[in-house]
Amino acid sequence: MLWLWILIGVLVLLGILFVLGYNRLVRLRNEVNTGWANIEVQLERRTDLIPNLVEIVRGYAAHERGVFDEVTRARAGVQQAGSPGAAAEANAGLTVALGRLFAVAEAYPDLKASENFSQLQDELTDTEDKISAARRYYNATVMNFNNGVQSLPWVLFARPLGFRAREFFSAEGDTGVPQVTFATGS
Amino acid sequence: MTLQEQIRSNRLRSAIVIFGFALLLGVVGGLIGAALDLRLGIVALIGAAIYGIFALISSRRMIARMTGAQEVGPDELRPLRRLVENVSIAAGLPVTPDVRLVDDPAPNAFAAGLRPQKSYVGVTTGLLRTMPKRELEAVLAHEISHIRHRDTYLMTMATIFAGVIAVIADIGFRMLIYGGGRSRRGGGVLVAVLAIVGLILAPYAALLLRMSLSRRREFLADAGSAELLNDPEAMALALRRLQLDTTSIAYADASVAHLWVESPTSRVDSERRGVLALSSWFDTHPPLEQRIAAMEEVGGFQLPERLPLDEPFASELGIA
Repeated sequence: MLWLWILIGVLVLLGILFVLGYNRLVRLRNEVNTGWANIEVQLERRTDLIPNLVEIVRGYAAHERGVFDEVTRARAGVQQAGSPGAAAEANAGLTVALGRLFAVAEAYPDLKASENFSQLQDELTDTEDKISAARRYYNATVMNFNNGVQSLPWVLFARPLGFRAREFFSAEGDTGVPQVTFATGS
Repeated sequence: MTLQEQIRSNRLRSAIVIFGFALLLGVVGGLIGAALDLRLGIVALIGAAIYGIFALISSRRMIARMTGAQEVGPDELRPLRRLVENVSIAAGLPVTPDVRLVDDPAPNAFAAGLRPQKSYVGVTTGLLRTMPKRELEAVLAHEISHIRHRDTYLMTMATIFAGVIAVIADIGFRMLIYGGGRSRRGGGVLVAVLAIVGLILAPYAALLLRMSLSRRREFLADAGSAELLNDPEAMALALRRLQLDTTSIAYADASVAHLWVESPTSRVDSERRGVLALSSWFDTHPPLEQRIAAMEEVGGFQLPERLPLDEPFASELGIA
């Protein structure tokens, strides 16, 4: 009889641990999803700004067609990217293309003096800052989630329960996760 | 320890400290009950609860008044708002905290608000005139970290608890001394003396709890800033700049001292010896030197002798 009670106790305990662990993974996964949504908002804002920018520059430098095509292609690449890694790669490509566009703009003083142009440039810079901020948060949440999914005992159950390790938003292999370890005084 | 683990262990500590406050409040009530009248003790505790709830509701407004923080119109200080916005995104806050301005020449900043959704960051005009963009961002990230770690909530609670305990102990003490003999129960002199000593010491115990809570949080918020921006050096530079600055803040209200990024009340740290060293127990902030050293350890760098001579951020905002 005693053994039965001990068995029940152990089962109940295991059940509680399971529920706590499961809920933790759900919470971590939701954080990853929020982080990804944040990045998508900023990426969309960036791609939305680009047609206007191209239009303005075209008005002053219509013959620089190669650059416009490149920017437009890079923009489409960001919009079509299917995974965080691919999106990061495409976004990096867009940054390169935009860099070339701005380099071209340097040669047209009228364009540079244009109010619209400088405002768009300012907005784009701000969006880039926001993308990198959103990226830091997203990558940190991914790391927490992946640590949860890939460590024992959850590495055994995570997959059947539908938890899969997520991809970092990073181009060329760096994780972009700041590693701050800290020893406090006092 | 990683930052996540730090935050977790910090939560546990917070719970213990809050429990300590509650216990202290219970002791104060008990002492009044034992020395005077049991019903009086209960009344005191109920009064404390009502006072506490009232203080909690009006805390936002009270903090704004005590720090002198003014609301800023939605179209003003756009670049500053942008910085706050970017840091909030990196912190994953659901809502960007509001920005408030304190017209004060001393460089300092604070965060307030019970919930992240209703929080705000206050910066002094002196901070904007002192810090270049990179360091200002680090200071803002420090404040956002306070919000993210729910420090603002906990510190507001701690302030209220400390205030309630001080008021109740004071009233009890007066009743014991002046209202004395009439209502005193048969407990005798010993109980009365014990109660008097206890009631005198209680506010200091509360203060001690409150201060110990905030010192550790400063280290954590520095680390949080380093993590959010991935730039511990910026935080260290900002702290060094604060250290070199000698203006002290006009709104040095001791009851909100723990909210600021740098202690607004005392400027001399690390030079206290002997009995004076004890006074550091009541400090709201660890010495800046220690905080800088912690950042240097995190980032594995050494601050240069001279600070970079970048333009202060105020020039971008167009305030002289």
